[in-house]
Amino acid sequence: MPRDITTAVLANTDLGAGNWLLEFGAPEMAAGMRPAQFFMIGIPGSATILRRPYSVCGLPGTFDDRPHGTVQVLYKVVGQGTRLLASLAPGARITVLGPLGNGFNEPDDAETTPVLVAGGIGSAPFPAWISKLKDRFPPPLMFYGAAGADDLVLADWFAERTELQTATDDGSAGTHGLVTEPLSRALDRERDRKLKLYACGPEPMLQAVGKIAGERGLTCELSLEAHMACGFGVCLGCVVPVRRDGDEVGYDRVCLEGPVMDARCLAW
Amino acid sequence: MSGVVEPDLSVTVGPLALENPVLTASGTFGYGLEFEPFLKLDELAGFVTKGLSPRPREGNPPPRIVETPAGMLNTIGLQNIGVDAFIRDKLPRLREYDTAVIANVFGETEAEYVEVCSKLDQAEGVAAIELNVSCPNTEQGGMIFGNDAAALHAVTAACRKASRLPLIVKLSPNVTDIRVTARAAVEGGAEVLSLVNTFVGMQVDVERRRPVLKKVCGGLSGPAIRPLAVWMTWQVHEAVDVPLIGMGGISTAADALEFILAGASAVQVGTANFVHPDGSIRVLRELREWLKEHDVATLRELIGAGHSKAPA
Repeated sequence: MPRDITTAVLANTDLGAGNWLLEFGAPEMAAGMRPAQFFMIGIPGSATILRRPYSVCGLPGTFDDRPHGTVQVLYKVVGQGTRLLASLAPGARITVLGPLGNGFNEPDDAETTPVLVAGGIGSAPFPAWISKLKDRFPPPLMFYGAAGADDLVLADWFAERTELQTATDDGSAGTHGLVTEPLSRALDRERDRKLKLYACGPEPMLQAVGKIAGERGLTCELSLEAHMACGFGVCLGCVVPVRRDGDEVGYDRVCLEGPVMDARCLAW
Repeated sequence: MSGVVEPDLSVTVGPLALENPVLTASGTFGYGLEFEPFLKLDELAGFVTKGLSPRPREGNPPPRIVETPAGMLNTIGLQNIGVDAFIRDKLPRLREYDTAVIANVFGETEAEYVEVCSKLDQAEGVAAIELNVSCPNTEQGGMIFGNDAAALHAVTAACRKASRLPLIVKLSPNVTDIRVTARAAVEGGAEVLSLVNTFVGMQVDVERRRPVLKKVCGGLSGPAIRPLAVWMTWQVHEAVDVPLIGMGGISTAADALEFILAGASAVQVGTANFVHPDGSIRVLRELREWLKEHDVATLRELIGAGHSKAPA
């Protein structure tokens, strides 16, 4: 059941290149929250009226050094809402609605290796997800692409917990080019293993990852992002085209039917 | 010391007797049931459903919304489950609540409006019909029903005949003189007018050098439109004799009271429902407190009171 709370910023850390990690206390909200679910976060009295959606990055237990009962949100400054969020100092009041949306689904069996694909700030939901999968599934393969090395936030954290391969547009770290290239090669190499894909990032990347998975008959869950006014299913602003029965195309809400959707259902 | 213990918030809006003046606006409250996790529907005087058409509609391609200064633009495209699914799947659950269910209705032709009104007339648990007349008439070259006095008169009269339910017409603000369309709706048989629907606007993405919204333009709502909406409420109150329901950027008691003092008997909370799911209840509770603090025994004495020539 989602709650609507007012809470204080506990930490708001600049990770460089416009990437930030926000921390606030929300023990009751966090208790039942699933990785890839999200919050709507608002700043009372600010120039924006609508709250903005942010994926949960860290749940209790994700980052060992963080205080009990806190959650973390990883975000990149891209517009007015994120710019205002980045200006908040510890102690500032925020309103938080959550948990919202559906979240990632675990692989069907303990032999399946999770394959994680992140594009830029699309890495946000993966720390909580990696922690949840830990010790119950084979160590994940992770493919992390970004514009440059500075945007590969939390790369060291991921490298300790996954078999990580990075790619950058400018070649400043990892493979020079798109993250889908090392991903395709690895999937072809790992044909004998049971794999399930999870991806979060810009829409063109998600489309490409969905296609790559489809061609290989692999299940692929995509965590989508969309502009939304409410986050709980009523504004109908965040829809994406989906295939319904019989190839008819309709619209599903990213906030309620998503943000995690099976790549095969999307009609884009 | 205040003599008012518990103020009387009840209002009569034409044929509708409401416990309090706070309703929610169509398109911001789904079919009501979506709000069950967040508030007690019984606490609301009533709510207006998402616009219902004869058949389900998938709506417009995204992007559909964007925030603007003190407001937002939307081009949802009247996505809805259709009147049959509403009666079959939503109404039975809604009948469990003590709240007025006002069904918002639209069509692409006069016949479609009539079809939906007739079906709602036969259904159990609908308190009133609100006509959304801000949609294009496909039989008249896409002319907006509510922007033309003759077309508005005709569609209102047709719907009046199609059902016995109280009939509210929701006025479009995208007209030269809203008093003209207000009179046309009343002459057509509207017992109540609600105003205003969203203002047409657009935003351009300067980096992409293209409109932000896929359908180019959308409807502007939120605090940005409040002064425009209050002024229209004020003018219509002086032009017609039917009760009014005011809306446009209401998120506090003071916002609601502006419309009430300008002549509205009730208000609808819209965009504020997106900001906080219990936004409507917050307005209602604040309103109760305001009346106590100002020693006002009955809210009714404030309706249209702003027009008084007596010194304030």
